[in-house]
Amino acid sequence: MKLTREHLADLAVGAAFLGTGGGGDPYVGRLMVQQCLDEGCEVELIDPQDIADDWLVVPTAMMGAPTVLVEKIPSGEEAIASLVRLEKRLGRMAHATMPIEIGGINSTIPLVVGARLGLPIVDADGMGRAFPFLEMETFGVYGVSGSPMAVSNEWGDCALIEAVDNRQMEWLSRAVAIRMGGCAYIAEYAMSGAEVKRTAIPNTLTLAIRIGEVLRKAHDEHRNPIEALLGFLPSTLYRYGRVIFSGKIVDVMRETRAGFTMGKALIEGIGHFHSQMEIEIQNENLIARVDGKVKAIVPDLISIMNTETAEPITSENLRYGQRVTVVAVSVPEIMRTPEALNVFGPSCFGLKEPFTSIEEID
Amino acid sequence: MPIITDQDIDDLAVGAALLGTGGGGDPYIGKLLAKAAIEEYGPVELLALEDVSDEVAVVACGAMGAPTILIEKIPSGDEIGLSLDAYEDHTGGRAGAIIPFEAGGINSMIPIALAARRRLPVIDADGMGRAFPQLEMETFHVYGVPASSVAIADEQGNRVLIETNDAAKAEWYARGVTIRMGGQSYIVNYGMNGRTAKRVSVPATMSLAIGIGRTLREAAAGHRDPVSALVDFFAGTHYGHAKVIAAGKIVDVVRKEENGWSIGVATVEPFDPSRPTVKIRIQNENLIAEEDGGQVLAIVPDLITVLDLDTAEAITTERLRYGQRVNVLAVRVPPIMRTPEALAVFGPAQFGLKQPYTPLGHGDD
Repeated sequence: MKLTREHLADLAVGAAFLGTGGGGDPYVGRLMVQQCLDEGCEVELIDPQDIADDWLVVPTAMMGAPTVLVEKIPSGEEAIASLVRLEKRLGRMAHATMPIEIGGINSTIPLVVGARLGLPIVDADGMGRAFPFLEMETFGVYGVSGSPMAVSNEWGDCALIEAVDNRQMEWLSRAVAIRMGGCAYIAEYAMSGAEVKRTAIPNTLTLAIRIGEVLRKAHDEHRNPIEALLGFLPSTLYRYGRVIFSGKIVDVMRETRAGFTMGKALIEGIGHFHSQMEIEIQNENLIARVDGKVKAIVPDLISIMNTETAEPITSENLRYGQRVTVVAVSVPEIMRTPEALNVFGPSCFGLKEPFTSIEEID
Repeated sequence: MPIITDQDIDDLAVGAALLGTGGGGDPYIGKLLAKAAIEEYGPVELLALEDVSDEVAVVACGAMGAPTILIEKIPSGDEIGLSLDAYEDHTGGRAGAIIPFEAGGINSMIPIALAARRRLPVIDADGMGRAFPQLEMETFHVYGVPASSVAIADEQGNRVLIETNDAAKAEWYARGVTIRMGGQSYIVNYGMNGRTAKRVSVPATMSLAIGIGRTLREAAAGHRDPVSALVDFFAGTHYGHAKVIAAGKIVDVVRKEENGWSIGVATVEPFDPSRPTVKIRIQNENLIAEEDGGQVLAIVPDLITVLDLDTAEAITTERLRYGQRVNVLAVRVPPIMRTPEALAVFGPAQFGLKQPYTPLGHGDD
């Protein structure tokens, strides 16, 4: 499947939805992909089922604070430099690149790399949403090593990280990304085609595009976009979603601590939603509670949307007075196994509540 | 080629502490590492700089981080070997000789431990001729050897390779990684051939440090004044000029941690009441010794070392205390460290000092 400009607009909306408040605004990434298209490059997605088992797939991404990215615009060569550095280390050429994170800006970086290098982009990722750490990948959960990893910046500087585990890879590479100015470009979790099929969450790029498309068409046809979205989900791996709250934002507490956007949003119910919903944020929306009762919890998606336009609202854009609807969505089974919850379940974010799927919560 | 003996290592520890000019870390743990490596893998040859063959692949190595952490995070000895493995994996070739990047302090010892393990010679030279706090403050860098690639390893087996065309950025990234490795890591960098090593290194600094230790040991055994023995010893070396610039009691020590540095001032009240008080300004190492009234007695990169009055043992900045009786010894560094290019990298201005560099003994000889 070849991507067009229209796909990119839909992808930006869908990726923001899957970002569950975090992952960074895809805007800068979208501009970079558009420029590639304008220059005649092709952005070709490939289904993970269509790749050969012996292919070398090298995922690429941005690492760091999306707020920095907006002021430190990449040239587009940085992520390519990281991929090329890993090829050199591995002594093999990549057959394809792939996103590590479908939520937010990182849905777009591999598209730029693929377009520039003439490589297809595997339609899959390792988070199925957005997460703040590099070890929070289904790739790692199911045994793929994140190392060797390359970290590059706009000056042509590069760090090659070979860590003993994926958590230490995150820890050491984060130091480099911070000292590269808070934003760097990476290639990691190099794997075979067979490993992609076994460990990746399939078809998330096309899912994000479809989410954007469903919302856009509903809007154009004057249907309720959120209902249209909920009606669409059962045909995907994300099977189930529902509105868990609707109301007005009455308080937003937000601070930057230890490199994270930490905070809470309070929403006062409107209509048949009574009381208040409290959403706890650590870059992404982690848990939603009403009167102390859990209504949705990570890794299930909790997306705060503008009630009128159904536009997903990122954590940094939450404001007092916004009328919002909170949608919770079940993540694919590959993200809910005990092994997966060990890496990105509630306890990994310091939450005491156990994981309970959105289907089981009333 | 001389073999480094057990006695040499004891002497080196004493001499390297003096060349550390207050910083560089206590060589004690390094000494244990070097001795253990020699015991396990066999003796190490100290190769004179002029005897290094032009084509041999030389790499520099040492520990990076805070010496205060090293004392609580004892290395296993495998780290530096792992670092060289990483360096060789990424650069292709195999190292044929090891050069210390810093002869002052603990980094005089790490290269011996690595050389023993890999059965390679250690070159009798280094890139600092003393101790400095940053990776780019090297004659290697001053005279054109790229600091990168830098291989960094820790005790857990993590390896990081930094590639950049700027020595200051190599320091910046490597420091960030080192901090996250727990404040202490082991690095290999400044790969060069033998011909280049001869051009860019401060020669004979390892044997100088061993000679300092031997001089003090023999003076103590012969009941001679150790400091005058040292001054005489330096006169016969390429450092040449050494001088006691103050003798007195430490009456004040101000010290704080700022931006990862130990910053401070030590005040020495001379035994001779007609002499003005001397202040030593510290940034990890002793940077400048000035009399009250502003007369500069010695300034970086010349060595300024505070010595115990009786034993002439070097006192590192973290061990300075009120009431210690001390000699302050200054030593002029060799010409390769005093060129305009060298001073642009590790001269007074690089440490925020306004005073210009004036070589020790300037005007007296």
